[in-house]
Amino acid sequence: MATRKLVGQVTPEERNEIQMLFERRNGLNELAKILTSDNAELYEKLVKDMGETSTKFQNWWNRMSQKYLWEGTENGNWEINFDTCEIFLT
Amino acid sequence: MQLRDSRQPWKDGMAKNITFIVTKDCQLACKYCYLVGKNSKEQMSFEIAKQAIDYILSHEEDFKEESVVWDFIGGEPFLEIDLIDKICDYLKIEMFRRDHHWFDSYRFSFSTNGINYHTDKVQQFIEKNKEHLSIGITIDGTREKHDLNRIYKKNEDGKERGSYDDVVRNIPMWLKQFPHVGTKVTISSEDIPYIKESVLHLFSLGIHEVNINCVFEDVWKNGDDKLFENQLLELADAIIDNELYKENVCSFYSELIGKPLDPKRDNQNWCGAGMMLSVDAAGNFYPCTRFASYSLRNKKPIIIGNVYRGIDKNLLRPFLTLDRITQSPQKCLDCEVASGCAWCQGENYDAAKTNTIYERSTAICLMHKARVRANNYYWNKLYRKLELEGEREEFEKNKKEVKQEIC
Amino acid sequence: MLQYIIILLDDTATSFCHYSIPHHRASKLIDLDDLKNGIRFAMIENLMIQFVYPNYELPTRHIEAINSIDHIDIKPYIGEREDNSDVIVFNKIPSNLLKDKYPTTIFRLTPQEFFDFPYYLAKETFKKVERLNIVIKDIDPIQAWDLNRYNDKLKEMSDWIEQEYCNGNTPQWNILTDRMFLSKMNNCGAGDTTITLAPNGKFYICPAFYYENMDDSIGNVNAGLDIKNQYLYKLEYAPICRHCDAYQCKRCLWLNRRMTLEVNTPSHEQCVAAHLERNTSRSLLINIRKHGNFIPEVDNIKEIDYLDPFINREKWQQENL
Repeated sequence: MATRKLVGQVTPEERNEIQMLFERRNGLNELAKILTSDNAELYEKLVKDMGETSTKFQNWWNRMSQKYLWEGTENGNWEINFDTCEIFLT
Repeated sequence: MQLRDSRQPWKDGMAKNITFIVTKDCQLACKYCYLVGKNSKEQMSFEIAKQAIDYILSHEEDFKEESVVWDFIGGEPFLEIDLIDKICDYLKIEMFRRDHHWFDSYRFSFSTNGINYHTDKVQQFIEKNKEHLSIGITIDGTREKHDLNRIYKKNEDGKERGSYDDVVRNIPMWLKQFPHVGTKVTISSEDIPYIKESVLHLFSLGIHEVNINCVFEDVWKNGDDKLFENQLLELADAIIDNELYKENVCSFYSELIGKPLDPKRDNQNWCGAGMMLSVDAAGNFYPCTRFASYSLRNKKPIIIGNVYRGIDKNLLRPFLTLDRITQSPQKCLDCEVASGCAWCQGENYDAAKTNTIYERSTAICLMHKARVRANNYYWNKLYRKLELEGEREEFEKNKKEVKQEIC
Repeated sequence: MLQYIIILLDDTATSFCHYSIPHHRASKLIDLDDLKNGIRFAMIENLMIQFVYPNYELPTRHIEAINSIDHIDIKPYIGEREDNSDVIVFNKIPSNLLKDKYPTTIFRLTPQEFFDFPYYLAKETFKKVERLNIVIKDIDPIQAWDLNRYNDKLKEMSDWIEQEYCNGNTPQWNILTDRMFLSKMNNCGAGDTTITLAPNGKFYICPAFYYENMDDSIGNVNAGLDIKNQYLYKLEYAPICRHCDAYQCKRCLWLNRRMTLEVNTPSHEQCVAAHLERNTSRSLLINIRKHGNFIPEVDNIKEIDYLDPFINREKWQQENL
């Protein structure tokens, strides 16, 4: 089992922002399983949204890590606990 | 007994819950089933589901909740897995196409008997939607207990056949797919002697969170409360003596229950009827599934609209203004152990002397008081043990409080 | 606490409220024994009796029974002055000028008749009617309620009444002047302060409950009263109404039940109509006071920013926290 170390905490508002993006990304991924390019208009909307959501997602982590200066490692990842707003290094 | 994935009550129970009664058919003929109107004829058509979805999603101003749980019940919902798959696909596409705010916060929820859980179609559906699923499998505890009630419909030979083996074989797969799964258990009079062994059995199956409540119907016999209390006392001993509390939680024992309630501060309604919405095969809307005809013994259904005309908001007003004081008899207002004593608006309506949702049924009163006594015993015993072992502080820091979840 | 009993003397006894007598309902006079037992019940329970009459003359023995007790008569207008009636009911808008002076008078009007209510008739009532109760009938389907037009007509009537006050008169029109004088709810009281005895010898919450479903009785003259869930008819058990200050509202339990399925919960339309009346009364009181010192002991009606108190339900919960 991977080790987890508590390295910080975000505010509930910041948590809400990343949780919404997390949910949206999951939703888009599952939508991608059923949408085909036959439905051109919606497919295009999906592809565009996936790109935008992914960027916003990464931007959040970049912004927060700069703000809070969390401890990190070369191959490590940060994780958030949505219930507690805690950030873990794994 | 019902197992359900409860990684968390979705959005702390503040999500809109929209239920599709996709079928009133089931493979089983459980002896205690509360659905008085089960049948194999009323399957929902995709067209009805689509119209319901179109109505709901096009009235975003009336459904402002941040999140939604799209709930599928029966009968046995997985009998209609093709329909459910089609409905869920339509939901995903429509929420996205309309830029509906629920696309960012939704779940698909199921209560199943677990018999078809392993089938290719169900598994494909799970794989396709796994990030948005909450699935509860119903199991009553040990084989003996489960097969007492949860039997198949009779074959031509007329013999009874229990369903335990067909359900339990799917539990490991289910736990693997939903590792944080919790359990929901409903207790009726006949279940009382089996409570302790059933809960311990569920723990042994790898289900670490067991949420239990007594049925709200007036099924209780003289002396049931004492038997119930004894079962909970024995269960408390088993959990504490075997240190099962370290890994497991049983909602019977909660430090929040058994206190007096303030008439003003604690006046909110318990039940979510009216905040929820159910739709049946005919396209009728209900404030909760419990108000549909197939779950009412004595009263007419309360239909608040349909997929063609929409919802009559006047019919929702009584549900949305209900509070504890207005519907409770004086003995409940004066009760010194009132906290945690729940009610079901549908059962209140069904049991009421007049056609009202404003008469609280108190059939559960003695059972709640028995639970409170056993609960006192549990915490007194547990905390003394932890103090003697110097572990109380650590326990309190990490303890998990089970939310009271009744429907 | 019960204070009043309404006794319907015949199945065709005039309506004096929102409900209408079903068209197919034939005349059926109350049995003399039931009438006497009803009167006896009222005497024992210390209830004031209101007799409601059909449009034909009652048998002598019925009249003798009625006159054996102090009471109030409610009679339909049948084209000539009813000298001995306390309340006269017009079931449609009078087509001619009023012939005589009238005591408390009820105009049962369709929404359209209300919208078309003419100024000449208002002037007639100012001169000849002690008190006017306007009751809207046939308001089903509720969509027929044009609340904007209702509001406009209330304002127009309010102007007429203001003018009359300037003239030194004090007409009483229930929907516009009652609220000015009230400091607490003054509702119909069905099931709480008032019950109804129907011609079949059974008690009902109100006449409307009888005409809607005769099986919906709450006892009879022989066995006595049996009001199930009686608390639901009390103001304290009406979650919206107990927070409301549209004190003139009838709080019609029959309409409540028709629209929301619960006797203690008014519909949106009923709340809005009552608040339009309340707000027009507020303006009327302010305007009258511009002309002189009018009922100084009564406070102004406060300004509010809603027409349906239902929208405040979350605030009520918050106030308790």
